Amino acid sequence: MATTSKNMNVFYRQKKKSTTSTEKKSTKSPSTKHSATFGSDITQPPALVSHGGSLDLKDDFDEQEQALRQFDMNMAYGPCVGITRLDRWERAQRMGLNPPKEIESLLKGGKVKLESLFDGRV
Amino acid sequence: MEVDSQEQLQRKQSTYLSLDENFEIQKEVYRGQQYSQIYFARLHMMRTLLYSLVPNWKSHLPVCTVLELEEGKECIIVGTLYKHMKLKPCILDEYSKERSVAPLIKPHNFMHQDDYLVLEDESGRVKLGGTKLSPSVYVTGVVVALHGKETSAGAFFVEDVLEAGLPPQIKRPLKSREDKYVVFVSGLSIGRSSSNPLQFQLLVDHITGHLGDEEEQGLAAEIVHLVIVGNSVEISRGLLNGQNLASKDQSRLSEPFKELDILLTQVFSSHHCDDQHFKIAASLPLDIMPGSSDPANFALPQQPLNRCLFPGSTTYNTFRSCANPHCFELDSIRFLGTSGQNIDDLTKYSEAKDKLDFLERTLRWRHLAPTAPNTLGCYPFTDRDPFLIDSCPDVYFVGNQEKYETCLLKGLEGQLVRLICIPRFCETGVAVVSKSCPGVSSIQIYPSTRVNKGEKEKRNGKEGEVWIDTIEVAFWLHAFLLVPYSVLAYKNKFL
Repeated sequence: MATTSKNMNVFYRQKKKSTTSTEKKSTKSPSTKHSATFGSDITQPPALVSHGGSLDLKDDFDEQEQALRQFDMNMAYGPCVGITRLDRWERAQRMGLNPPKEIESLLKGGKVKLESLFDGRV
Repeated sequence: MEVDSQEQLQRKQSTYLSLDENFEIQKEVYRGQQYSQIYFARLHMMRTLLYSLVPNWKSHLPVCTVLELEEGKECIIVGTLYKHMKLKPCILDEYSKERSVAPLIKPHNFMHQDDYLVLEDESGRVKLGGTKLSPSVYVTGVVVALHGKETSAGAFFVEDVLEAGLPPQIKRPLKSREDKYVVFVSGLSIGRSSSNPLQFQLLVDHITGHLGDEEEQGLAAEIVHLVIVGNSVEISRGLLNGQNLASKDQSRLSEPFKELDILLTQVFSSHHCDDQHFKIAASLPLDIMPGSSDPANFALPQQPLNRCLFPGSTTYNTFRSCANPHCFELDSIRFLGTSGQNIDDLTKYSEAKDKLDFLERTLRWRHLAPTAPNTLGCYPFTDRDPFLIDSCPDVYFVGNQEKYETCLLKGLEGQLVRLICIPRFCETGVAVVSKSCPGVSSIQIYPSTRVNKGEKEKRNGKEGEVWIDTIEVAFWLHAFLLVPYSVLAYKNKFL
């Protein structure tokens, strides 16, 4: 499916190497995080030089996003591609699958990505 | 001229309820989703249902998913069937580097003795072995429960199959005993060079009561509904090849619709002639469904034909343009049917002794079109599968088939369904009339040749002299033209 991104900035978003990121997942080692090595799972490694002078402190891997990704990957609620996370949650709710309520509050409240993990990438 | 003042016959009425909301796609928004969503919805609904039926079937066996299968452990698994077909046309064959001489593919059926079935759920898939599950009967997209065990080769040896079976049927309260009739006609194919407009004209004249004497008109007054089941119009291929049309060709494009609209308007307008013979007051409610050759969307569920195509008929509020598949209730008797694409697809990918067998299978699988979206075009719904049959209909019909067939299907819980295959009118001239009695509807088909001269004379004796000539002419016209072409149903009064 066609990507919905409108500008190249989204693709080639320059990321400053974050030095204050202490809240790292224990599963990820900091050394492989910012480079496209075997262990990392990012598609675009950030550049060493920041673009525009602003620090990008919040990256893709915060806890909320991680929880939402776990929700995306859970096959009990069906495929996640092609449907927004909230729609998928509501569908699971209607089907009686009892999806966790925290996901709903996350999706309706915070500034999280509403599209699934694979949006724009598949 | 002696004017016999016959009182006006009132056409019988029925309460109509349309249940097509499930098939409307106006509210759907396409976000680039794929068909995995509709398969998930189907699997989830059917699996919940099958899990509730498994304890009654074999309660001692554990139920597990495909991934949890262990070698030698007898268990029950539930999933969607996939049939691997050797001869199924694949788009990638066009790009194949080795252009070997393709085997002779029969265009009407793609079965091969090497076809095998695979069961699939979210966790995985497993090839099915054993002789209990015949690949010639099942198609991709059917959800079943299987009892068996995994073999050392990694396949699942099937010992028994559980299908969902007929859905529960709502018991209708027994209403009045009066007989009402519903007429089904399909495949009018107006615009085809071989179609004879006189046939449909004759049918319309008959059901609106323009033909025949008082008794025949009385019968026609008992018809409460007319359903046109798809393929009403056929646009010639030459006009559709994508080139710009000359202005004379553009008028040719709309001719079939104009013809159809004129004919349908006649069904409604009951006062367009001063004919004293004609005495049925109310017009006949009409449902028109789209078919594969009609200008509607290709993928199921086909949306109702646009009202602009029928400028004359849409002024009447008894004209309804409906979706395909179509579900409606008349006097709380449920009718469900399609224009034939689902059964035609089953014919291509499986085999049965007749079309009624396919109809029965779709009811037992509780799914109108199991091959959608695999080989039959379908809208990629995300949250539901609208083709699942929740409640057993009383009359289940399919249009555009080769010949008329019908049978009465009895379910294990006392469900009674009348299965009807409606033939193509342009080829056979057959319309189907269903007696809409509560519970069971029976079809009585009998050719009009039985209206023999002896009967006519007996009736004519009652009328005044002046009527004999006109009735005779009408009858002979009727008999002469209907005999080779049309077969209609009557009650046993004429016999």
